[in-house]
Amino acid sequence: MVSGCLAKIVFSDTRHNYLLHYLAALGVVLLTPVIFGVSRLDERLAAQPLEFFLPLMGAILMPAVFMPEQNESIRDVVRSKKTPYPGVCFMRLLCGAVFITVLTGAFVLYMKSMDSVVTMRLFAGSLASTFALGAAGFFASAVSDNVIVGYMTAVIYYICNFGLKDKLGVFFLFSMTTGSFDEKKWLCILSVVLIAAGFVLRRLFRER
Amino acid sequence: MEKKIVIKNVSKFYGRKQALFDIDLTIGQGMFGLLGRNGAGKTTLMKTLAALHRKKGGEITVCGVPIEKAKEIRAMTGYLPQDFSMYPSMKADEALDYLGALSGIPKAERKKRVTSLLRKVNLIEHRHKKVRELSGGMKRRLGIAQALIHDPTVLIVDEPTAGLDPEERIRFRNLLCEVAEERIVILSTHIVGDIEATCENIAIMDEGKILWKGTVEQLIENARGHIFTSNVEKRFMPQIKKEYIVTGMLSQNDYTTVRIVSDSEPDLPNTVLTEPDLEGAYMYCLHSSGCDVRGGEE
Amino acid sequence: MLFGKECRRILTSLTFIIYCFVVGLFFVSQFIDENKGDPYIPDEKISEDHDIIIDSAVDCLANEYLANNYICYPLGFYKSVRLKEDDSQKVEECLLEITGLTHDELMDIRDSGEHYYVEHGIQETMYYEIGELPVSDTITYERFCELMGQVDDILGGGSKYKVDDLVANYSYVPMTQEDREAIISDLYDKDRVVGGYARLFSDYVGIDLGIMPVFVAAALVSADRRKRVSDLIYTRKISSLKLIFTRYTALVTMMFIPVILCMISADIHLIRYFDFNDLALYKMFTLPTFWLLPQLMIVTAAAMIVTEVFSSGIAILFQFAWWFYSIMADGARLSGSISKFDLVCRHNTVFGREEFMLSKNDFIFNRIFYFIAAIVITAITAYIYELKRGGRFHGIRLFGKNSIFRHKA
Repeated sequence: MVSGCLAKIVFSDTRHNYLLHYLAALGVVLLTPVIFGVSRLDERLAAQPLEFFLPLMGAILMPAVFMPEQNESIRDVVRSKKTPYPGVCFMRLLCGAVFITVLTGAFVLYMKSMDSVVTMRLFAGSLASTFALGAAGFFASAVSDNVIVGYMTAVIYYICNFGLKDKLGVFFLFSMTTGSFDEKKWLCILSVVLIAAGFVLRRLFRER
Repeated sequence: MEKKIVIKNVSKFYGRKQALFDIDLTIGQGMFGLLGRNGAGKTTLMKTLAALHRKKGGEITVCGVPIEKAKEIRAMTGYLPQDFSMYPSMKADEALDYLGALSGIPKAERKKRVTSLLRKVNLIEHRHKKVRELSGGMKRRLGIAQALIHDPTVLIVDEPTAGLDPEERIRFRNLLCEVAEERIVILSTHIVGDIEATCENIAIMDEGKILWKGTVEQLIENARGHIFTSNVEKRFMPQIKKEYIVTGMLSQNDYTTVRIVSDSEPDLPNTVLTEPDLEGAYMYCLHSSGCDVRGGEE
Repeated sequence: MLFGKECRRILTSLTFIIYCFVVGLFFVSQFIDENKGDPYIPDEKISEDHDIIIDSAVDCLANEYLANNYICYPLGFYKSVRLKEDDSQKVEECLLEITGLTHDELMDIRDSGEHYYVEHGIQETMYYEIGELPVSDTITYERFCELMGQVDDILGGGSKYKVDDLVANYSYVPMTQEDREAIISDLYDKDRVVGGYARLFSDYVGIDLGIMPVFVAAALVSADRRKRVSDLIYTRKISSLKLIFTRYTALVTMMFIPVILCMISADIHLIRYFDFNDLALYKMFTLPTFWLLPQLMIVTAAAMIVTEVFSSGIAILFQFAWWFYSIMADGARLSGSISKFDLVCRHNTVFGREEFMLSKNDFIFNRIFYFIAAIVITAITAYIYELKRGGRFHGIRLFGKNSIFRHKA
């Protein structure tokens, strides 16, 4: 990619298509200390905000990747350019992931400064849950070509974690609050598989 | 490398429905018109050429590059869809700049091209307007500018003049002709006037097949001896429309002068053989290929 | 007929199919799977005895005050609150008024007892063994509630002193054998079994209906804009009021059908486990309809108006926040406190008829309020639609004139 192009694409895209999403994700982080205790928590209690609430950032940012081109005419114009359209979408996903990682990291540091026991594995576990939740929404919106279905899927997955709890097995998002970390690697695998499958299936069915 | 697009035996399916049937076509430099009724398969063919659709069978090469190499194809192709839209909140110049970035043009060059293209399409004064605030004609001009932003060898424009007022339409055609001097420009339309004013070579499509290909003159020549005018009483018009292909009507008092496309001389009063025009020739082509183009009860 | 056509449009929409699937899945996994065999009988019951409530609450408050560590659950999640000097002073004033003690007397009680440590997270908090504190003779229950409300406000809400929850927090007493027999007989005699299960059913299905309808409604409303047919519809003869109400009715009707199917399944399920003659099967239809229909209506109405004014994304965000707040605001309490404006009314037990009856009036007010609010909101939506139709309103762009949000329907 020619230098400057990438920056331009990312900047314009963020400004015009995702500003509100990023603000909403930031809102989630800012709201967390209001709802949850963040000071002097042991590892298990510290996992609560990191698992119950921060993953909503994934649900906000990741299903919206295909949103700006839901209008087919816009999609055709964007797709007719040299930069591959899946590349643009992947870049959005990457920007979202970086944003999520930075905010989660900042929040973890904030909790640490409030004397809570936040470890590296809590940080990684929180990210795994965030990406898994977001990837579920991403996959659904990629396949259905409907962002609302993407959000719906993410919300359903989230609710299932309250309702079905450990019946979800390795896909349980809130395992750290029960002291288990094994699920997290499965959530990482799930995220990668869903994102890859989302791109592949979309290519097969939606962009013929 | 020779500037031409070669399409051989290309088919395309949407699920089980076949949209293109063994298309064979060679398109050289200059303006090429693709004429056909709504739903004839023009847009499908155009999107296939722009590497937006994948073909099922056959072979397409654009200036020697097989269509499967989508990235290379997109680098040398500009595409203006039938219903051009862009992110509504972007300003005209911003949209162009963004699409230029997607085309991989370096920043400095992009800046120059954006200004020169906006000037070329007469949008320089409106460059700070948001896409949603542009009129239909302006939007279409922005569309052509974005298709040209990376100076493509091939320009594909799908029904560019539909919905434009006559003034805008003429301006748009002239712009296309100007652009076509050093490029291959493929223009699809169902408006015969657009082709007449701009294209030398044309193809006529219907139901996913190429019915005819050649020059405009050949098409007109083809229809010679099949276009007639008659002067008939108005009250017979419904009957005439039902029986013949009527391409034009002019009413005066109780009489109407009708232009009719027919294999043989129609059995109507005051009928004379006339010099064919492109519209008549097009209708005759459709008719002679077995398409039902009569006006019916309308 | 337009109503039929709208219903068909909803029926074939992907969001509706997913909605049906989720309602069914939750019903089966929560209601059917969890209710095989005899229902669970709790060990405690609510006594509503004011003396018990004041005694227990004041002891709890004194403990937390002396340790200056208050455990709150603002949205169902753990949060420990430490108060600054002046706020702590205010809590002390409340405590002194309830107990009738002076500051010095309270400090004497504190110093006379032993102290011990409790671990909260990584923090060890020192508590004092103070035994039971006295209660002032002059304090009335009303005044006590008022003071508790003040304490809850000072703590930022979600504390153990929230007025609405006092009864449920502090009046639990162990159940005697007679109590057990009484609630079982209540279930059979007053609830005719089905009534109890109908509350549980409404509790479970209500969770879904607090959020899921927003997706179906937002998708239907935004489809016009997404498929760019708004203008076509704007120019039709039909009045905005009729169009919006037809769409609204179609949405509510279609989304209530899976709920009715679940009601039927619930009845069939109960027939398998209980003697048919003990069951008043109609109760599975009456109470849940009164419980769930207004909820479905308000969520649908809210989704429609927010989508019309802002966008479907904002509608989803708004509904998620409302739903999350409603579900979590009561913390871990799943029954016994339905308040006037709860979106999702919780009562997660088959028994507890008496407990439910405590908030009966609030519950009835709540559901009628939302029923009427839904209709009013829909009428406002029709008015907004009319404005958009006439080009007098174009939706609101968040963050001012140049904002980017309006097109994202």
